[in-house]
Amino acid sequence: MSFIRRSLLVLASTAMLLAVSGCALVSPPPETAALDFKSRAISRTDHAVRVSTSVLSADESRAVYGAPLATLGIQPVWIEVENRDNAGYWLMSSGLDPNFFPASEAADVFASGQPEIEQRFRELAFRNPVPAGETVSGFVLTNLDEGVKMVQVDLVASGRLRAFSFLSIVPGFRADYRSRKVLPGELHAPDEIIDYTDDNAFRAALAALPCCVTNNNGTRNGDPLNLVIIGGLEDAFPALVRRGWRLTEETWLGSVTRMITSALSGERYRYAPVSPLYLYGRAQDIALQKARDNVHQRNHLRLWLSPLRFHGKPVWVGQISRDIGTRLTIHSPYLTTHKIDPDVDEARAALTEDLFYSQNLNKIGFVSGVGVASKASPRGNLTTDPYYTDGFRAVLVFDAHPTSLAEIDFLPWEGREGGFVRSIIREPR
Amino acid sequence: MSLATWLLAHLPQSRLPVWRAFAMLGTAALQFALAGCASWQIPTEVDDVALRARAVSATEQEVQLSATVLSAEDSRRMFGVDVNGTGIQPVWLQVENKSPQMLWLLRAGTDPDYFSSLEVAWSLHAPLANADNAALDEHLDRLGFQNPIPPGATRAGIIFTNPHRRTRLLNVDLVGQRRMIPFTLFLPVPDEAPDVGLIPIRQRYAATEAPEYADPDALRAALERLPGYATGADETASADPANVVMIGELADIGAALVRRGFRRDTMELDNAQRLFGRPPDIVVRKAGQGGVPANWLRLWLVPLRYQGQAIFLVQAGRPVGGRFAVAEGKDLILHPDVDEARNLLIQDLLYSGGLAKLGFVGGVGAATVARPRDSLAGTKYYTDGLRAVMFFATRPLALSDVQILDWIPLPNREGDLDAEKRNAQQ
Repeated sequence: MSFIRRSLLVLASTAMLLAVSGCALVSPPPETAALDFKSRAISRTDHAVRVSTSVLSADESRAVYGAPLATLGIQPVWIEVENRDNAGYWLMSSGLDPNFFPASEAADVFASGQPEIEQRFRELAFRNPVPAGETVSGFVLTNLDEGVKMVQVDLVASGRLRAFSFLSIVPGFRADYRSRKVLPGELHAPDEIIDYTDDNAFRAALAALPCCVTNNNGTRNGDPLNLVIIGGLEDAFPALVRRGWRLTEETWLGSVTRMITSALSGERYRYAPVSPLYLYGRAQDIALQKARDNVHQRNHLRLWLSPLRFHGKPVWVGQISRDIGTRLTIHSPYLTTHKIDPDVDEARAALTEDLFYSQNLNKIGFVSGVGVASKASPRGNLTTDPYYTDGFRAVLVFDAHPTSLAEIDFLPWEGREGGFVRSIIREPR
Repeated sequence: MSLATWLLAHLPQSRLPVWRAFAMLGTAALQFALAGCASWQIPTEVDDVALRARAVSATEQEVQLSATVLSAEDSRRMFGVDVNGTGIQPVWLQVENKSPQMLWLLRAGTDPDYFSSLEVAWSLHAPLANADNAALDEHLDRLGFQNPIPPGATRAGIIFTNPHRRTRLLNVDLVGQRRMIPFTLFLPVPDEAPDVGLIPIRQRYAATEAPEYADPDALRAALERLPGYATGADETASADPANVVMIGELADIGAALVRRGFRRDTMELDNAQRLFGRPPDIVVRKAGQGGVPANWLRLWLVPLRYQGQAIFLVQAGRPVGGRFAVAEGKDLILHPDVDEARNLLIQDLLYSGGLAKLGFVGGVGAATVARPRDSLAGTKYYTDGLRAVMFFATRPLALSDVQILDWIPLPNREGDLDAEKRNAQQ
């Protein structure tokens, strides 16, 4: 970390400490806030285990914790597990957010030297285990999501996993995720949907999808549609959440302001704006980001729900790119844009390889449809970033039942010898 | 064909015409004036002979893996710039696939936050030097490791990773059709003091010194008799608690840790903690977001074995302040809630694919919030007194495969909280 970045961080955290230590933190949390978030909790039941969750707004978390958690990007998720099964379960905080905040870490900044507040943070935290026949509730402190949050609750007992997935609306925020349309509502009329059960027909349908995203009136092609994700809330989303992918905020001016602030302080900021790209005549249904070290390094994933289904599972078509820096551009109203790795196949491979560790990846294959763009004559995206590709799209099939690394299937589609794509741009040495 | 001969055959830039060299010199001078830094030039002596000579190799299921961590000098020679100086640790890998299956190397298993070749190149681009920058891109891209590895083929290349200190625990997961071949190698990190602790670790105890346990109940009793906490250098002051036990081959434990982003990194302060009369054998850290202070694990090999496997006594700790305390030195103060660090480690490693069994035993000794126990340098901690025992396996496991042993029922923290409240009221 550079000296300046570190100094700014120290300054910021010192200011925050001063600010919070001057607050009346010892006031007991009002009961009303607690009731509000519990009343909108969503519940799901799997066999004898029932899980309820609710994501707190900034105001609610301040009321419950007596501390402005949202100012440091912390968002409490309330979870209640009612265990009528015959074994004790453990809730996996890293499944909710690989970069979650231990309660003590949040207490260190908001309650340092105040034992009562420290104790409140400890008491509010979700406490493992959930013994057989009992109900346990508490909070896991996650990174702040605005708009809609993907909440993944992995409960592990001996030789058993119960996974619960929720899309939870966060009060008080906006997002470019259009929850009313995509989930749980219907984007496509029943007669528009084509469910494939034949591998070859499905493969042909995937290869026939458009090569690329477009601008909003469909006159120019942009980034390649190099990814197909098969699955939904129960299987594909949990995989993405476990590997640190988050929904993004809508592109709006406030976000840009904060991206600039973020670039100055060097803090990891997960809401750099994602510009809309178009497929099926509409902007992405879901835009996700995976933050890396700081704002300059994040990977972007945009997904559109297609009218295709594969054995009943939703089929998402998407575009994945790796940011390797920022650069100036006249093709974006913000005048800066992410410099993407021109080797877009690398970004595709990186996502695929990462999702091998997600527990839910079940099958992988490749289909054509993107079209080859060689390194010597690369194609350009909508912000004129050049890219080159072998022309394949990765097809990732997810399953709710966890699959070990040694059991993942390679579909024998494109490529040779069991579905491996051999780069045709770079001849092997 | 070696990397060197391949490069000679494929890099026409290495036979630069004179005019181009002059042009580059001019551009370089301009850039130096503009940016105050030297420009990049294509290295003329790219070879991997030195890397091969130092490589550590292992063979599993008809596949041979060789690997070397690049020194700053290797880096300058091969990349024409000291990539190591930018906080990146390049690792040279060679996979020789004598199996009948196509294989794919999962870079996310080697480093979940690895850098792509062009990402490294972009960070080294000079302003107003398009030709040089393009050549740099091309050069690093060609040196990068390329998937897949066809049957009978050998592939060699570089993966750009985050640094490990002193010895790199290199995890390489190769996957094929319904198959996985995991490797863990221990690679010396050049440009650093030699690592005396790690490599001989497997020879530390002779068979006579390390009794073998085959029975889980006898093992449990033995684990409860292990020291509850470390001591300071003078072996009288009590230090941090030994709240975790890891059982398995070091390679399997290392693979699980690396997959979850732990990196080898020993700090001076770690060596103040002593068990069995010595400082920790291995220290790993998991960086928080934005490079802030990391959680740590300090491991000591124990003079016991279980069904032929090594046993490590471990301190799992988290620094006070975490992501929000960035002041120098603060990263080394133990947070008093050590059970939290232990429990979160369990959750993290459950996603590693390397954890097979989990149980709890006593042996640390309880210390309440109201009456915490002293550690070194005025730090204190409280705990339910249990240590988590984790059994590691080579065969990759899913979350639903982990067995939880009913040794001590999972710690019931609700009861502790009630006790804490009573203590607080008194």
